[in-house]
Amino acid sequence: MYRFVEHTAELEVELESESPEGVLEEARRAFAELVGTGEGEMLERVFELETRDLAALLAAWLEELVFLADTERLVVESADLEIAGTHVSGVVRGRRGEPRPLVKAVTLHRLRFCEEDGVWRGRVVLDV
Amino acid sequence: MSEGDLVRLDETTWEIPASARTDMRVPARFFADEEILDEIRGDRSLEQLQNVATLPGVVGAAIAMPDIHQGYGFPVGGVAAMELPDGVVSPGGVGYDINCGVRLLALPLNEYELGTTREQLVHAISREIPAGAGKHGALHLRGRSLDDVLREGPRALPGARADDVACTESEGCLEGADPEAVSERARLRGSDQLGTMGSGNHFVELQVVEEVLDPVTGGVYGLVPGQLTVLIHSGSRGLGHQVCTDYVRLMDARSDGYRIHLPDRQLACAPASSPEGRQYLAAMAAAANFAWANRHAIADGVRRAIASVLGAGAAEGTVQIYDVAHNVAKVEVHGGVSVCVHRKGATRAFPAGSDEIPARYRGMGQPVFIPGSMGTASFVLAGEPGAMERSFGTTCHGAGRRMSRTAARKRIGGNELRRQLEARGIVVRCPSPKGLAEEAPFAYKDVDRVVRVVERAGLARRVARLVPIGVVKG
Repeated sequence: MYRFVEHTAELEVELESESPEGVLEEARRAFAELVGTGEGEMLERVFELETRDLAALLAAWLEELVFLADTERLVVESADLEIAGTHVSGVVRGRRGEPRPLVKAVTLHRLRFCEEDGVWRGRVVLDV
Repeated sequence: MSEGDLVRLDETTWEIPASARTDMRVPARFFADEEILDEIRGDRSLEQLQNVATLPGVVGAAIAMPDIHQGYGFPVGGVAAMELPDGVVSPGGVGYDINCGVRLLALPLNEYELGTTREQLVHAISREIPAGAGKHGALHLRGRSLDDVLREGPRALPGARADDVACTESEGCLEGADPEAVSERARLRGSDQLGTMGSGNHFVELQVVEEVLDPVTGGVYGLVPGQLTVLIHSGSRGLGHQVCTDYVRLMDARSDGYRIHLPDRQLACAPASSPEGRQYLAAMAAAANFAWANRHAIADGVRRAIASVLGAGAAEGTVQIYDVAHNVAKVEVHGGVSVCVHRKGATRAFPAGSDEIPARYRGMGQPVFIPGSMGTASFVLAGEPGAMERSFGTTCHGAGRRMSRTAARKRIGGNELRRQLEARGIVVRCPSPKGLAEEAPFAYKDVDRVVRVVERAGLARRVARLVPIGVVKG
């Protein structure tokens, strides 16, 4: 589950899933809602990210999606990913399009990614 | 912050004393009237301003303009000066859109002379200036060409007009820019984006000078009632966004080493004299130069559109009034001391006599442009001496949001807003109805009220009021 919460200027997103990988998938879905869809041939990209803590991993994942949209106009539609500690790797699949250049960056403000009562939760503020 | 912590210093100045929190090093001070104060209290912006007041090396006060609103780390509308050499520099205090700013062009025509070609001109501008990369209008830069832009700004672009460069803050080039400090990822993001507008609140607006409030200064700036102008709002695009991302991440990782404890991770910072601080300032300067080149390329697109609709003479006669940054950190002298002034959604507003102002405007004060919102007015201001005395030579940068994008969309649909604006004679070009609704005029504070506050506070004076007749958004 993802939902956008009130923020005067930027976009704050709350994420929830049964697994940490599920939180990253919810983040991908939220980002896709903002940038629109691609079309044509399905493309794959391999990725690997390492961060200083788990919360930063959520930010780094979204930064990767912003980077692919900005440099390749690639809108990611699915991802096979695996988290080990503060490391995530896998393959993303998507199509090229004209992603709306709305999201400038992923901030560390109010950033959160942790397990609470058996549920994985994330929160991130996007600069738009 | 409790109500008791807020002190009114004078008609337009409010302060939260440093004693309000144990971690504040200086007071948090802001400019507002009662109505704006009520709006400010509706979000976390004052808490964010107090957070800025905790940064190592901050001098005087953490300051905010009347367009302050909640951002990330710094509030939007925030100003902080840091002592040198060891006060901190914070990439988040500049923001991701390094040198986001505004440029005003004046056409050699009035609204009457534009006649029935207004819609055609707005269409032509929208065709020439894409929102994102990969379309007609964007310049493609690689290798040395990109390095030259990062080092020199618009001067490195072929055919750059000298009078445009002269009428740009810092002449479009910050010293110390180092392309080597800009990552490969940032270069990749920026290489196809020169001449593109971006999305969100970025725009190109066709306007009419509705009223010249200070005819002497207006005359020197080259503005007369009825004249057509074009206001461009954009920044450093993906290149700047990535530079900030890279250095926030770097300083976040290294802050423990400098024993810096922050109330908000996004305030990640390092001493300006540290390797990380110096490297960031060199990369930020490069991104700022890229942003000035971007607005220059957009202005070229506007001139191409004018030429196609109104003829080559009209394009040739279109002059740049000025170009100001509103997201940047600069080393300046205030009170005889060198400091690093962070402006996050705030505009430099130096008064008459400053060597930093182009000679032609030096007797009047630096031009400042305050965009309102689609459908309302924008203002041309001139810097006043009070800005040097009270706000490190700074004034506001816009009307300031007061409503979230979600709330704006709930209140009006994009197509309905377009209909309302067009009924008022404003031609609108925006590919996303959702994006249009998010920027609805009611989502912003009253720009007339905001500029009256900065005028009463002595930071800048009103010179001219401009109203939109065409809006192009990404």
